[in-house]
Amino acid sequence: MASETVENCSSHDPLLDIDSSVLSTEVKSDEYLELQFRVFRLAFLLTIFSVGIAGFFWGIQASASLFIGALSGIFYFRLLARGVGRLGTSSKIVGKVQLLVPVLLVLVSSRFPQLDLIPALLGFLLYKPALIIQFLSMP
Amino acid sequence: MDSITTAASVVAAGLAVGLGAIGPGIGQGSAAQGAVEGIARQPEAEGKIRGTLLLSFAFMESLTIYGLVVALVLLFANPFAG
Repeated sequence: MASETVENCSSHDPLLDIDSSVLSTEVKSDEYLELQFRVFRLAFLLTIFSVGIAGFFWGIQASASLFIGALSGIFYFRLLARGVGRLGTSSKIVGKVQLLVPVLLVLVSSRFPQLDLIPALLGFLLYKPALIIQFLSMP
Repeated sequence: MDSITTAASVVAAGLAVGLGAIGPGIGQGSAAQGAVEGIARQPEAEGKIRGTLLLSFAFMESLTIYGLVVALVLLFANPFAG
């Protein structure tokens, strides 16, 4: 009887409702962060693999360009994930700041002769296979 | 680079970005609308909805990036320049 009364009180207590909603929001954001980390981990693994292959077959310059492109692709994805994470809470739109990353990459690789444009662009797109693998492995 | 090639490259760069951004822009707006509506109706599925939205955005925005890259290559590393 006493426990029933406690249950009735707790189900109508607004303070407890707020606490449970905060807890569930944390769980949801944990799920979102976990997805991001999985994609980052996959992208890093693909980067290491591709940089090794490029260094073996095409030399150190192509390998360095691919590595810089891959890092900028991961940075682009991080900015996109931050924009999507803010959507609906602190912002009503997804920002376009992340599109500056490929612009800067092309500008830098066309200005510096030490970098090749095509490997840098291919490296930038390395986040896409990671996304496809993650998308296929989702339940 | 002669003047006709320069003019054609600048026009093509503008068209590549402009036309390439129309489709992803419409798609991203519609996807964001659906996601926010879904989160409002079903807050317990927020993590999954945000994750799917992130993956969809990345796929859609890559189409814009393709157009952007073509435009930047035409402007700064033009293969048709003399």
